[in-house]
Amino acid sequence: MRFTFNWLKRHLETDWDIYQIAKKLTTIGLEVDNFCDPKIMFRNFKLACIEHVEQHPNADRLKRCVVADSHGKKWRIICGASNVHEGLIGVLALPGAIIPSTGEVLSRSKIRGIESEGMLCSYDELSLPSDDANGIIDLGPNVSLSTSVGDALGFDGGILDVSITPNRGDCFSLKGIARDLAAAGAGKFIVSDDISSKSSFEFPLHINYEKSDACRRYAPVIAFRVIRGIKNDQSPDWLRSLFLAIGQNSVSSVVDLANLWLIDSGRPLHVYDLNKISGQLAIRFAKNKEKFFDIKGREYILHQDMLVAADEKNVLCLLGVMGGAKTACDENTTDILLESGLFDPIFISRTGTFLDITSDSRTRFERGIDRDSCISGLETITRAIIDVCGGTASNICIVGTHPNVDRSIRLTEEKLHRLSGYEIDWANAKKILLKLGLKEVSSSSEASTFLVPSWRSDLSIEEDLIEEILRITGYDNSPEEKFDAPINCNNTILQQENIIMAVKRLLASCGLSEVVSYSFIKSTYADAFKEKKKVIQLLNPISEDLSTMRPSLIPGLILAATRSLNYGQSCVELCESGNVFYDACLQETHIAGLRAGDFQDRSWIHNSRKINVFDAKSDLMTALGYFGLTEKEITIKQEAPSYYHPSRSGTVYLGKKKMGYFGELHPKINKLFAVSEVMACFELITENCDISPPVISYKDKVFPKINRDFSFIFDTSVAIGTILASIYRIDKKITKADVFDSFILEDGKKSIGITVTLDAIDRTLTEEEAQIISGKIIKFVEEAGGELRKK
Amino acid sequence: MSELDKLLASCLYEIASCNDLKKLDQIKNAVFGKNGKITEMLKELKGLSDVEKREIGAKINALKDTVSNRLNVKFVELEVALQEKKLASEFVDVTMPTPPHQGGTIHPLTKVMEEVGNIMDSYGFVLASGPDIESEYYNFTTLNMPDHHPARTMHDTFYTNMGADEHGRKLLRTHTSPVQTHAMLAHKPPFRFFAMGRVFRSDYDATHTPMFNQVECLMVDKEVSFANLKWFIADFLKKFFTAPNLSVRFRPSFFPFTEPSAEVDMNYEIKDGEMIFGSGDKWLEIGGAGMVHPNVLRYGNIDSDTYQGFAFGFGLERMASLKYGVPDLRNYFESNERWRSKFGFSYVAR
Repeated sequence: MRFTFNWLKRHLETDWDIYQIAKKLTTIGLEVDNFCDPKIMFRNFKLACIEHVEQHPNADRLKRCVVADSHGKKWRIICGASNVHEGLIGVLALPGAIIPSTGEVLSRSKIRGIESEGMLCSYDELSLPSDDANGIIDLGPNVSLSTSVGDALGFDGGILDVSITPNRGDCFSLKGIARDLAAAGAGKFIVSDDISSKSSFEFPLHINYEKSDACRRYAPVIAFRVIRGIKNDQSPDWLRSLFLAIGQNSVSSVVDLANLWLIDSGRPLHVYDLNKISGQLAIRFAKNKEKFFDIKGREYILHQDMLVAADEKNVLCLLGVMGGAKTACDENTTDILLESGLFDPIFISRTGTFLDITSDSRTRFERGIDRDSCISGLETITRAIIDVCGGTASNICIVGTHPNVDRSIRLTEEKLHRLSGYEIDWANAKKILLKLGLKEVSSSSEASTFLVPSWRSDLSIEEDLIEEILRITGYDNSPEEKFDAPINCNNTILQQENIIMAVKRLLASCGLSEVVSYSFIKSTYADAFKEKKKVIQLLNPISEDLSTMRPSLIPGLILAATRSLNYGQSCVELCESGNVFYDACLQETHIAGLRAGDFQDRSWIHNSRKINVFDAKSDLMTALGYFGLTEKEITIKQEAPSYYHPSRSGTVYLGKKKMGYFGELHPKINKLFAVSEVMACFELITENCDISPPVISYKDKVFPKINRDFSFIFDTSVAIGTILASIYRIDKKITKADVFDSFILEDGKKSIGITVTLDAIDRTLTEEEAQIISGKIIKFVEEAGGELRKK
Repeated sequence: MSELDKLLASCLYEIASCNDLKKLDQIKNAVFGKNGKITEMLKELKGLSDVEKREIGAKINALKDTVSNRLNVKFVELEVALQEKKLASEFVDVTMPTPPHQGGTIHPLTKVMEEVGNIMDSYGFVLASGPDIESEYYNFTTLNMPDHHPARTMHDTFYTNMGADEHGRKLLRTHTSPVQTHAMLAHKPPFRFFAMGRVFRSDYDATHTPMFNQVECLMVDKEVSFANLKWFIADFLKKFFTAPNLSVRFRPSFFPFTEPSAEVDMNYEIKDGEMIFGSGDKWLEIGGAGMVHPNVLRYGNIDSDTYQGFAFGFGLERMASLKYGVPDLRNYFESNERWRSKFGFSYVAR
């Protein structure tokens, strides 16, 4: 809502200045986006008349002008505008002026070798809307040079731009804003007089109002009036300059006046050119696929639950939303039909959303207008039109009936104090409500019942009234009150989050940097990672790149990696935690990591090598280690989702529970993302990590352990991890089984050196016992396909 | 010169001129070994009288002590020299560039979530969670936004292809507020909850990303008041921004799920191009708050005549950006190496 300060003052008697008003508006919830005081804004600007124009000697397109102010003081100005001519009265910016569009301070400067002592401004430079893109401001010949720039441009005491929250339909009008300000102590609200125009002739049209429940709900009541014999010229100067200042386009007197009263009182009205209506006017629902052309000639295909005004041939108006081209008023219009209706917010919202039309009218109906303003609004606009355009009015024709929806709300002192948390003075609280237009209909010692005024459809419950009281009192005037934290609180989910956090820190300590990626990715990427699951797609994505919910964290990590690889990084190490999505379970929390390129940055200290599957496995084992899991507890199967390298990847199980995957990525993924480096990834399904770490017994006294090394020969296909896991099960005294050496023999078989630690924990193991266990290990391995290597 | 003196002189000479540990060992053997000179001399004592034994024996022992001391000193001397030589041969150029162990970084969002979580926990607020893919019912209806409520047009909602069920279409939650309803339905008041997580709105420019994170807070009890809300938010922000002098301003606003509703601003000033919170008279909006609308309580199965509560929601990226000076929202989700090394945090908790 953009309006001038003096216009506001027609509804508010106040001695406050624009600064005080702006501050108060924000305090009471009508946030001032910006405001300007023309005295400040136009310091170092003045009106000036161009007395002489001649060609700039060094530039074809520039002119040398001499301009003068009201005192006859002269300045030499260089100007490039096409509309420069002698006698033009425009706005002159002098050195020191701050140009609104750039925020820069104007100084004297030489333009093509000749000094310019100031600048003649365009609307653009003053950040004012205008159709004239190239020219400087031309105020016309009738402006007195002694007028202040603010007044000449219609700034009328200053401009305020206020954001209205969607609940405050009533404040989409100056009347509503003034009423709120008055309630907050900024002055006295000026109640406008009831006016009525005498009717000079009988309403000439037959209105056919569809007698259905749906129609009565959509448009409970509509009032019409005809005015004949008007002259629909360009609007008078005061109206045009006002519209200029508030950024509203001027069309013609009648249309401008309707828009003026829309802003003034929040009452939308529609004006039809009466002579363009053929036959009767019907208020009916649109036929399916019926066409409608709005005032700008855009075509809309209507739907049968949209209410329209139509004549025998065409749809003339999309009621409450948008007027039509067929009956638009123009300079030849002499007779008009005025329509002032009450339309249901939900229907209007549906129609507007479906057709994607936003309009001042829709905005107001959607948020709720003053239910009682059909007739009074019509009377006010009638008076204004006759004053400006002449003509005579018919009587008012009303179809439908005014709904009786008076609402009263009971407010108790107890609730007011309990919700606000302090003892607001009860009498003052009631006074605020009365100033906002509520009426006290009954009261007792601890409660009062208030009747809600017709313009406040947003007030319906006790809490609404409490908000009004707190808002007008000022939130900053209500106190703060401390409360204590309970001694115990069982923050289970926070603890889980902290575990994920700890795992990420652990991974970061191994070099992986955390990234956060979008939850949605390109559908081709999602397809490559969905396996047999069904991915979830967005119906209205912001772009194809962000259209499908990620079924895995890996694609996001690859995208992050490419940004680093493309930047020239040779070693990329990343991790992320977050949800993945697919149809069957909606969402699952994963932690994933990716390494690509070199293992660690190239350095003389270590031999450089590329990332491989074991780096990913090591990362996964590090993460699992946080949960107390080692290779002793888990099972690793040589299988993984299809985006992993088929023979360089694995799946980790704890019993039957799948814990995660690791491996090098399949070359098809490299191709899809155009990455040449080998990428090794892991995914940990954190939901399955709800395991308590094992309790490790601790004995202060240490007994010597016995180490035994074995050298076995296996076929390459034998899974050593499985052999090691089984070795643990041979005897409890086996506390560690690990591989210390691994190489491929000439015959293609692999030689694996296994070291086993034996520890009885509570005593020294005897050589005989160790010998027995060693025998069991050799027997087991041989049964599992291994062969003890002969020295 | 007696034989003993001769022996002493020759031993000391040999020890002094020796510069090799092996040779020194040989010298030691030649004197003290099985057939060593001193050993021999001691053997010869047998044949002497007691008086002579005592006299010569004492002399031999003195000789023995002297030689042995000299030997020990020489041994240490030679060992040290040998080690020094060995160490000298192990020379490396310690000026060679040596990278520190490479640790990864923690994302600023994670860091801020952890900070917020710790503060909330200290006030006794319990973390609650909800799904990223919500239904219209939980995202809108239970939050007092019925069909065609104008507030629904405030959100540009992403809808999914998952069809609809009794709770309406499936969508990406536009705020963390649905967690309020889930938490209320699962627990009996009084309670204190907070939620953190991703939310989605169809918007993309320098100040909007289609995904961002929120922290949501809900406290319900019989007497939880607007005054409590004001204190809590101020105290929370003071702790989060470590700005004990922070001023917090409440401005009336509108949210369908709270009544009364407020927007929360905090004061700041700009000093040397940096934002300082808690001083100055400029105001910066940080989030929305209010008393839970009775309809929302009812959807959460809570008796709104007995219970009331407050709720607020802040943007986590905004909080992170303000606290740690992270520019351009988009970088949070499209980070590169340089951004991470500038705005990432060490994995060591600080």
